[in-house]
Amino acid sequence: MRPALPLLALPVALAALGACSNDGPTAAPRPGPVESTPTPTPSPTATGTSFDVTRCLNQQVAPGVSVANLVIPDTVKLDVTKPNGFPNGRGLNDPVIDITLNVLFLDLTKHPATLLASLPLDPPGNEVKTLSDFPYLAPANGNPPMPPAGGTNFNFRTDPPSAYVSVDRMGMPAVATALISSAQKNAYNDSTPADDVAGKFTGDIVHTLTGLTNALADDFQRLGLTMCATPV
Amino acid sequence: MRISRTWMTLGATAFALPLALVSADYASRAADHLDPPTRTDKDFDPTPDVPADIADVFAWYTPTSIVIVLTFAGPQPGNMPPTYDRDVLYTINISNAGARTDPEFQIRFRFGFDGQSPGVQFTGVPGTTGPIEGPVQTVLQRDGVKAIAGVFDDPFFFDLLGFRETRSTGTLAIRNTRDFFDGQNDTSVVIEIPRSAVLNGTNPLDIWAQTARFGGQL
Repeated sequence: MRPALPLLALPVALAALGACSNDGPTAAPRPGPVESTPTPTPSPTATGTSFDVTRCLNQQVAPGVSVANLVIPDTVKLDVTKPNGFPNGRGLNDPVIDITLNVLFLDLTKHPATLLASLPLDPPGNEVKTLSDFPYLAPANGNPPMPPAGGTNFNFRTDPPSAYVSVDRMGMPAVATALISSAQKNAYNDSTPADDVAGKFTGDIVHTLTGLTNALADDFQRLGLTMCATPV
Repeated sequence: MRISRTWMTLGATAFALPLALVSADYASRAADHLDPPTRTDKDFDPTPDVPADIADVFAWYTPTSIVIVLTFAGPQPGNMPPTYDRDVLYTINISNAGARTDPEFQIRFRFGFDGQSPGVQFTGVPGTTGPIEGPVQTVLQRDGVKAIAGVFDDPFFFDLLGFRETRSTGTLAIRNTRDFFDGQNDTSVVIEIPRSAVLNGTNPLDIWAQTARFGGQL
C-alpha cells in the first residue's frame, strides 16, 4: 500500500502551486533580453536549520538501488528485466524532474517516489504527442528554415577523437546542472563516469544537495511533506 | 582549415533552464540544457558552443530493440534552423559488462556537407558492419539499425518560470499548467538498435553522452 500524503497537505500543496501567477496554461512567455553582465542568482531564504543529507543519498529507490547509485555514476541505467520508466531508463514522457526532486528531498519511507509526479508538481507531460514508432520524437514546432535536402558526398571529418576537446557530458537528468557546483562544472563535464565512481565529485554533490535542502526545508515542511534529510 | 559552420544557431535562445531549484551559482537549468554555462550559455560565455550543448539523453527498450535519443542545441523556437556543425564530435557510450563506466560500445556521429546539404555519419553502432551515413532528416538503415538526425520537438517539460519564482521568493511556486518547453525544438538524433546487438544477457546497460569540438573550445 502506498504511503499516504497527509490529506491536509495535498490541497495546501495544490493551492501553493496555483497561487503564484496569473499566467495562462499555455506556452510560457519568453524571457527578456539577456543582460550583458550576468547577475548571480539570489539565494532563497533558508530556514536557519542545517540538514544532513546522508540519509537521502542512502535511501532505497528500488531493492538494492540507492539514490546515490542513481546519481553516481552519472549514467542512464537501463535494465530490460524491469519495466521501462525513469529511473529505469528514461522515456520521452517520463516525469524526471518531479521524480528526481522526490527522491532527493523526500523521505521514501513516508512518501512514494512518485508522489510529486502524481500531483503532478510540474506539467504532466510533453505538450505534443510523441510518436509510437521511430523516430518517436514529435515533429518540430513552427516552421524551421531547412537546409537543402539530399547530398551523397559529405565532407565528414576523419580526425581521431583525440583531435577533439571535451565540451559537455550527460547521463542522468539534472545531475550536472543541479548537483554540481559552479566551481566544478567544467571539471565535471571533462571527467568520466569512472571519475564519478572514484569519488571525484561526491563531496561536491553532498555539499550542493545540503545547500538546496537547507533552502527548501521550510517549503517542504509547510506542505506537510517529510524530508529525508535530518537536522544537525 | 576549419570549415565554417553552417545551419547552426549560435545564441538563438536567451534563457537558462532549470532543475537547480535554488542554485546560488547560476540561473536554474534543466536536464542539461546550457550546461556547463561557461561554455554553452551566452549569459556566461560570449561564444557559447550551442552545437555541442547536450540537452537530454533518453533510453528505453521495446520487445525487439534498444532506443537511444540524444537532443542538443536547444531549446529554440520554431522559426530557428537546425544545428549541424562539422566540428563537433558526439559520442554515445554504452556499457553492458564489467565496470559500468567502461563502455563496450562508443557510437560516434558527426555532420558533414555536400555543398550546402548537411549529412550525418554514425560509426561504432552495435551490430553494424560499417558507417551509417546519409542526409539529415532522413531515416537511415543498416544491419537492422535505424538512425536519424534532424530537428524535432524538444520533449522535455518543466515549469521554468515557477522555478525562477521559487528561487527568487523562497516560496514553492511551480505550476503544472505551465511548460516552458512548449513549442520549442532541438536538433536531435534517434538510434534504434536490435536488442541482440546491444544486450549482454540480462546485464543492465549504462548509457551516457559526450560532446567534443575539433580544434578546441569556442
